[in-house]
Amino acid sequence: MNPAASSPALEPARSGDKIVETFYYDNRIVRAFGIATVIWGIIGMSAGLMAAIELFFPAANLNLQYITFGRLRPLHTNAVIFAFVGNGMFMGIYFSLQRLCKARMFSGSLSWFNFWGWNGIIVAAAITLPLGFTSSKEYAELEWPIDIAIAVVWVAFTVNLLGTILKRREKHLYVAIWFYIATALTVALLHIVNSLEVPAGPWKSYSVYAGVQDALVQWWYGHNAVAFFLTTPYLGLMYYFLPKAANRPVFSYRLSIIHFWALIFIYIWAGPHHLLYTALPDWAQSLGMAFSIMLVAPSWGGMLNGLLTLRGAWDKVRQDPVLKFMVGAVTAYGMATLEGPALAIKTVNSLSHYTDWTIAHVHTGALGWNGMLTFSMLYWLFPRLYNTKLWSVKMANYHFWIALLGMMFYVVPMYISGITAGMMWKQFTPDGFLQYPNFLQTVQQIIPFYRLRAIGGSLYIFGTFMLAYNLWRTARAGQFVPEEKALATNFRTQLDEHAERAFSHRWLESKPVLFTALSLVAVLIGGMIEIIPMIVVKENVPTIPSVKPYTALELLGRDIYIREGCVGCHSQMIRPFRSETERYGEYSKAEEFVYDHPFLWGSKRTGPDLHRIGGKYPDAWHYNHLDDPRSTSPGSIMPRYPWLLTQKLETDCLAARIKALRSVGVPYPDGYETNAPAELDKQAAKVVANLKTGSIKAEQDREIIAVIAYLQRLGTDIKLAPAASTAPKVASN
Amino acid sequence: MQLINKFGGVAMFGIISICLFVVVFTASMCWAALLKKSFLKRMEMLPLEDERNPSSRDNL
Repeated sequence: MNPAASSPALEPARSGDKIVETFYYDNRIVRAFGIATVIWGIIGMSAGLMAAIELFFPAANLNLQYITFGRLRPLHTNAVIFAFVGNGMFMGIYFSLQRLCKARMFSGSLSWFNFWGWNGIIVAAAITLPLGFTSSKEYAELEWPIDIAIAVVWVAFTVNLLGTILKRREKHLYVAIWFYIATALTVALLHIVNSLEVPAGPWKSYSVYAGVQDALVQWWYGHNAVAFFLTTPYLGLMYYFLPKAANRPVFSYRLSIIHFWALIFIYIWAGPHHLLYTALPDWAQSLGMAFSIMLVAPSWGGMLNGLLTLRGAWDKVRQDPVLKFMVGAVTAYGMATLEGPALAIKTVNSLSHYTDWTIAHVHTGALGWNGMLTFSMLYWLFPRLYNTKLWSVKMANYHFWIALLGMMFYVVPMYISGITAGMMWKQFTPDGFLQYPNFLQTVQQIIPFYRLRAIGGSLYIFGTFMLAYNLWRTARAGQFVPEEKALATNFRTQLDEHAERAFSHRWLESKPVLFTALSLVAVLIGGMIEIIPMIVVKENVPTIPSVKPYTALELLGRDIYIREGCVGCHSQMIRPFRSETERYGEYSKAEEFVYDHPFLWGSKRTGPDLHRIGGKYPDAWHYNHLDDPRSTSPGSIMPRYPWLLTQKLETDCLAARIKALRSVGVPYPDGYETNAPAELDKQAAKVVANLKTGSIKAEQDREIIAVIAYLQRLGTDIKLAPAASTAPKVASN
Repeated sequence: MQLINKFGGVAMFGIISICLFVVVFTASMCWAALLKKSFLKRMEMLPLEDERNPSSRDNL
């Protein structure tokens, strides 16, 4: 081990009154995260490509439950967000933070705990998600043991980050570090609040929130996962790596201050724009929309600050792949942050929501902003880490054009597909009937665009393989520099040429603890104003007596629905539009979801909404449909679920699940868990009898019976007269 | 609790959000405007300082 690793400050030398210290930057941890981001990038993108193929070729899953679309999609999103972008973020932060603070990382042990802990979590995700262990909350699917591990590893990262800042040799904190601080604090806050759940077994839990409250907390988290995991750390990295690659200072440091404070303050409010026209109260929707529109200002301030940093250096962009990728990334950021507020306008959202338009939007950000910025950092860093030149600049330039082409082939078809589907769903004939009453008509129309999307994704992945090969050859050609020697003046002996005035920004920049506290206040305000009234004001969630908790069989059916990731393609939220009430039935109301832990409103309709599916078809139809969707719905792209017909329903967990739900407020009577198995058998027998009338001989103890019971219950409570039901009354099949 | 209950109206939340937007933008702009040019120059150059190190040369 290099002695520098355990002794960060060596050879103090006096120069006048200043003490100059020699120390070493830790490049090992940067390289480790760099390698991890490339490997996980390829895996995460490949999972996405597989999921994309399954959308036009459902048999591609080979009828294996572990790689079915519903389980593969969260694996793809988690791998790309937390594994590819997460490792890329840590790589950039560990490199730039040391240099901006002129200090080695606070603790090498914490650095490696961060690396192995984070990547261990990703491996755990890659195992548990295909197995169906999921909370179903988007981008927060991982179950409670992994949630705890995430919190522990994130705290270790935050301690290491703040510790490094506190032992820095540079008095003032550069703008990139502000973004890192905001990221560390806010991600911890979001993760902990959204992951509050009650365990109901080693790999099963229920959210403490229900219905609209769960929806608000989830999308406060979900939107800000985009904001504070995919955006703020990458903005910090942009402020560091872009000036370095262009070899010129940032265009406007003043603008960066406005950019930072306005962005972190406003971003946190915007979550409810994911729930426009849903059962969420109007005041929360309006807040989400208003703040989303305001977000254009700081976002474009940052984007212009990035692009204008290249003033006078545009000639370099022609030859330099690092700058090319950076320009691509910042431009994609600008496009995505203009489009985002547009999509948050209620009128636009009424068309775009639940369609592929949202998929196009997030991939402009993911492939363009995060992907290209990560590639640019890797191309810039690896030659420096290995003290050599990039093996092939030409190949890197080709990579840029292939990635750009891949991105275009991805997002453009998704825009067309999204707008096409949205308009077809809303189209009426002159006589006032739905023009396309069968949902499958709208699905068939967009399948060619799904094929094009897969081509775009393939191109993008091919480019990533080129990157991996180029970096590998670069590493082979050079000599790794594990410890990089640096010199800096001791913090306490520095003359401050910029004596600070109390409460000025430069005064604040020299007070990291106060800066951290203020950043936390800025992000807390929005969250508290939205979430606290939603939870404490009863009128936000009215109740109606006929809405009752799920029966034991329905509860287990719902858990299987969650396990299979059905929420990835089917919403359970009918918006108050005539086009939706005509197609699906009465619009959804907040009081119908008071016992839904977690909520399952969904965010995408690859298939139709299911909130009023209960009683719409006979049990036999569901049985046949789940066995082979094309037997009942020719042309359907839904995967088959043959294992539901053969796998035994696990009932040993029932008591624990009922107790867990009771602890979060579901009014199961005391001792219900004792009677539940008998009640479950009775309801299952009724489903089996119903199936028999459809000439289907089914066994009573199979998973499909529970799923059918759950589907038949959906959206039916509101139709019952209050006196007709008593908790937890078995719903009629 | 009574105070929170009064915040039920949609209009009130819109007004609060606009006010907060204006306050935060104005405050951050004032904060930024008060910075000295010499300080800004120093901060802008921070990422470029270690370019003097041998391992930070142009590697393309």
